[in-house]
Amino acid sequence: MNLAHVHLLLNHVPTVGFGIGVCLFLVSLIQKDDKQQQVSLGILFFVALLSIPVYLTGVGAAEIILDRPGVSAAVIHTHEDAALSAFVAMALTGAVAWLALWQFRRFSRLPRGTVVSVLVLAVVSFALMAQAANIGGVIRHPEVVSLEETVTTYEPLVDTAWLNAASVRLFVVDTDWVWPAFEVAHFLGLSLSFGVVLLLNLRLLGMMKSLAFANLHRTLPWGMLGFGVNLVTGMMFFIGVPEQYTTNAPFQWKILFLVLLGINLIYLTSLDETWAVGSGEDAPFTAKVVAASTIFLWVGVVFCGGMLPFLGNAY
Amino acid sequence: MIDLLARVEATGLGTWLRLSPAIWAFPMVLTLHTIGLGLIVGASVVLNLRILGVASLIPLKPLEKLFSIMWLGFALNAVTGLLLFTKDATTVGVSGVFWVKMSSIALAIWVLTRIKTAVFEDPLVDERPVPNSVRALALVSILLWTIAITAGRLMAYLGPTQPEAGILFSS
Repeated sequence: MNLAHVHLLLNHVPTVGFGIGVCLFLVSLIQKDDKQQQVSLGILFFVALLSIPVYLTGVGAAEIILDRPGVSAAVIHTHEDAALSAFVAMALTGAVAWLALWQFRRFSRLPRGTVVSVLVLAVVSFALMAQAANIGGVIRHPEVVSLEETVTTYEPLVDTAWLNAASVRLFVVDTDWVWPAFEVAHFLGLSLSFGVVLLLNLRLLGMMKSLAFANLHRTLPWGMLGFGVNLVTGMMFFIGVPEQYTTNAPFQWKILFLVLLGINLIYLTSLDETWAVGSGEDAPFTAKVVAASTIFLWVGVVFCGGMLPFLGNAY
Repeated sequence: MIDLLARVEATGLGTWLRLSPAIWAFPMVLTLHTIGLGLIVGASVVLNLRILGVASLIPLKPLEKLFSIMWLGFALNAVTGLLLFTKDATTVGVSGVFWVKMSSIALAIWVLTRIKTAVFEDPLVDERPVPNSVRALALVSILLWTIAITAGRLMAYLGPTQPEAGILFSS
């Protein structure tokens, strides 16, 4: 199995997942069903998280098939740029969907502004991703539309002149100081998110037991801020010099750990059993398992990140 | 001074870290240094944010336990940091950015002990608002850690050896 296989395995998830997520969310809003609203927001968040490996494996897949006969580099690059705008929109939707889940817990209701933002962003993401997927399909299915026709008739839904792989590369690699500055930001983001991860999960494991989980829950957006900084800077590193990550084993583990951490994050953000852990109370067994695995996976992410140049080929 | 640094670098430890191709030599030490950084800075930043008023419903008193995480991270990084220093003592020891990092860490640790005294030796800590002087300490603490991390990361680009200079100045 190579990255092209993984890309083929995952590449329908963003479009189909967002389609389902948006429909469920609309129905839940009409029916005023709180539980279903949370489930659909969770789906949108998790699908957005999965769009990270979809994008990354896409770049890996391109490296594998680019030199093969009958494969058009122009179509691949058009697909790549369309996928980048779609990915950015989807990541934003995921961030707002997570915020909505957090607000739901924090205020027991969804602020109207968040609902509208999630809906608008999700629909835009779906349209962008559908367009990217459509072009992607042509790469291996020239029987549907001819390759030349795809490139010449392609009109991006948003202006991608400033947001494409080449412009990111120019900014990150060819601008003095940008790479080091992003490295600094990546380490600051790491510290912030690790601090919040430690606080919440060590509490669930029994340290600082007099703290009620509902109060600690308020620090979660700070942890997400740290993660957001690292997602942006990390994606910039990847798009800047993809060849040092696509065949890099610790990088693949790192992304797998991040996706698994996403499941734990939904659990810690939304579920009743952690929220109900009051001052002095012992957390339920499931919560402890999630807490221990969160710390383990998080340290794993840092470990893999540190090993990128040594077990892999990054500098 | 250079003499001493050269002798440090020539020790078995320094030579081993510099030359060993083993994954559990230099790579492991460097990665553990990053994990230690996460422990000490992460734990102090959440404490500092709480002192500054974030999630103010969290009582401060139980957060004293975070200091054990901080000291664990500090111990880990003192050991791994020393090992990393022996590897390149002659270049790192005369690098300005390294001494910026060392001074900011020394100051940050001192500020942490000040915060520990001011917050956790006050029996009424959760009965009244945090005094402005303590808030100022928390702000300075975040600032010092930011400087330490920035200087540490830039050592890879600004040190005398500049192994990664290519990525900094493309032309």
